[in-house]
Amino acid sequence: MKNTIKVERARHNLTQQDLAEKVQVSRQTINSIEAGKYVPSTVLALKISKVFGIALEEIFELEEGD
Amino acid sequence: MKEKSILHVPLLSPAWKKVAFLFFPLPVLLVIGMALVQMEISPDDSAQIIYGFWAIGFGILNLSREKEEDEMIKSFRLQAFQTGFYWLIWGLGALMMINYLRFGRITSEIFSAYLVLFLLNAYIYGAFQYQKYMCNKD
Repeated sequence: MKNTIKVERARHNLTQQDLAEKVQVSRQTINSIEAGKYVPSTVLALKISKVFGIALEEIFELEEGD
Repeated sequence: MKEKSILHVPLLSPAWKKVAFLFFPLPVLLVIGMALVQMEISPDDSAQIIYGFWAIGFGILNLSREKEEDEMIKSFRLQAFQTGFYWLIWGLGALMMINYLRFGRITSEIFSAYLVLFLLNAYIYGAFQYQKYMCNKD
């Protein structure tokens, strides 16, 4: 699953640590999600979209094979 | 979302990891000590003592919380238990095969609950650490 978290972070001027604190996970988890190594749960994905104030589908996108 | 309490597994504080690491050298020293005081103990029994202590050590490590126990770590933990069990089945199969090829039978004195628990916990720990390593790798 692709995501635009890195872009949104830059747009909102947030570091990985800032975002991690806002959604109550570790910085490593945010890093893994950005790198596509970990697919977040629905709850975490919704929390992330809430931080950025945009719809879930604008951040996460299914890839072929998902 | 609340978890069903009966299925919830309480984890130990991270400080328990220090206790767990004591269980690795302890049985080796114990067996050496028993040999020095010339206690009559068979090599099989010595091995079982070591497997038992190491099983407890790995068990504590597997049931200790990480410093940041978030959903990714929880998912790694679940995967590690599944993978550990899978590797255990293959590991025991391999041990039985080796035993059969060497001695003509699949059973052996070394197969015990201590050995199985040690292997299971070691595999779970290995699978968990591997996932954490892969996640932190660039």
